Amino acid sequence: MTASLYWYLREFARIEWVRKFFFARTAPLVTPAHFRGFPEPTGKACQHALSCMMVCPAVGAIDVVHEGDGWKPRIHKGHCIRCGLCVEACPNGVLMSGRVLETMQAQGTALLVSFRIAIDRDLCTGCGNCVTACPVNKQIDAQLGAGGHSSNDEVIMRVDDGDVQVLHEEKCTGCKTCETSCPTRAIQIARILEGIQQPVEGVGP
Amino acid sequence: MKRTVDVNIPLGPIHPCFKEPARVKCETKGERVIAAEVELGYMKKGIERIMKGRPWQEVMFLAERVCGICSVIHNMVFIEAMEQISGIAVPPRAAYLRVVANELDRMQSHLLANFSYCYTIEHETLAMYLLDLREQVMDLLERLTGARVTCAYMIPGGVRCDIHHEDQAFMHESLDRIETELQRYTGMFENGPMIALRSRGIGILTQEAAREAHVVGPTARASGIAEDRRTQHPTYKQLGFTPVVRPGCDNYARIMVRFDEVSQSIRLIRACLDGLPKGIIRGGGICKAGEIRYSGEAPRGELTYSIKTDEVGRVAEIQIQTPSIMNIEACCHSMIIGADSIADVTATFVSADPCIACTER
Repeated sequence: MTASLYWYLREFARIEWVRKFFFARTAPLVTPAHFRGFPEPTGKACQHALSCMMVCPAVGAIDVVHEGDGWKPRIHKGHCIRCGLCVEACPNGVLMSGRVLETMQAQGTALLVSFRIAIDRDLCTGCGNCVTACPVNKQIDAQLGAGGHSSNDEVIMRVDDGDVQVLHEEKCTGCKTCETSCPTRAIQIARILEGIQQPVEGVGP
Repeated sequence: MKRTVDVNIPLGPIHPCFKEPARVKCETKGERVIAAEVELGYMKKGIERIMKGRPWQEVMFLAERVCGICSVIHNMVFIEAMEQISGIAVPPRAAYLRVVANELDRMQSHLLANFSYCYTIEHETLAMYLLDLREQVMDLLERLTGARVTCAYMIPGGVRCDIHHEDQAFMHESLDRIETELQRYTGMFENGPMIALRSRGIGILTQEAAREAHVVGPTARASGIAEDRRTQHPTYKQLGFTPVVRPGCDNYARIMVRFDEVSQSIRLIRACLDGLPKGIIRGGGICKAGEIRYSGEAPRGELTYSIKTDEVGRVAEIQIQTPSIMNIEACCHSMIIGADSIADVTATFVSADPCIACTER
């Protein structure tokens, strides 16, 4: 009895015990360097390539907006799933997330984004909504007619003889505005992604 | 008139022993269970419908959100199915790194399953030890992929990022520590007399009954069926993989199979890291049109994706077949029947490691 009482007194009189009892703190939450967090701007100027917006798997998590005198990616953290695809898809290294950017720069990996326009001829009525809705078309040909007719050969698509013709698929930015404006869902934009690697000399395994 | 059933006891859908909602209805006579039935459908997500019409970069993230515990294998099976459709070759280094990520995921899933069994049989100490061990595995997964659960590590033609040199050393060091601790906990489970009383000879699933119920994964391997999809995977073939089989047929065998598979995973990861081929990690390649039915071994058993893609590589049709539904059915029809108490019902149900999120998708 006396021995155990003595043991308890000695145990609880220890300075470490007293300190732990009265000043217990949870360890601070530190995000480790290897964690793939929300994308953040690196400070490089956005070139308005829009790849980040087009590959994002979470709808509405990232958009590129015109602010002041330049473009800027804006991240909505409530929607972002922290996948890091936007960081890999950006050709100019505007975004960073954890160590995704430095790893991909060291290893020469990248994601190539391209777009394909598919028109279902059976469904297409030739109304020209897609042609007039397309923001790139508007920029190229300001005189674009309401029926989708254009005399400019540089537009992405135009209505010829009551049918939509795709002329320059490579100019498509994948925004899907045409897809949403089509009354019969005849036009569809495919966002195609390819993971590539060009190993950097002297770096790697 | 003689009554055959005394009480119909429902367990769940919200029950402290179950990780996810499911209802097990037991018809009992005294404490003895004479029939059981499982009611599912509390968390249907309709994820296959959401996947339709989307390209791989969107479906990949949906696929790993089918199940939170075995997310890496969902990603892996989907991406490998897309690769098979499009004829994309994977660089050897990427194939090895995929195995590392997959085995780390299997380790954490098995440790969680064993935690949950130990917790159900009220051995809370061992359960918490196992949960602590799982946390160390999760840290390794985070080091490799950048995220703990939704890793999104594999893409068609390779993996997202290479393993860093310092991480490789850290991984070796951690695996040594994990292995020592795992041996200690396995010994605690193997030799614990009270654990044996709660586990040995309880929840018997004979080999015939297991074959009849089409049981898969560790539940099948604990009934003496050497069935593992990894034996047909090319990278695992290179590593000389052989499945762990136990003839025990009871709860104890199922948990021990998982413990053995965790140490087997450690050996596989070590073999991968030691023999990691040099070279690139991404081969490129664009997804094409096609149709395939492709399977892989999830921590709970065989996982199958049936995919049909359109000409630009978008998923036109998709069906996912997950392992847990067979195990749950086997649980009701064979394992639970004849249990001596209701406490054994929860333990048996948990020992089959049912994943309701996978099952209902």
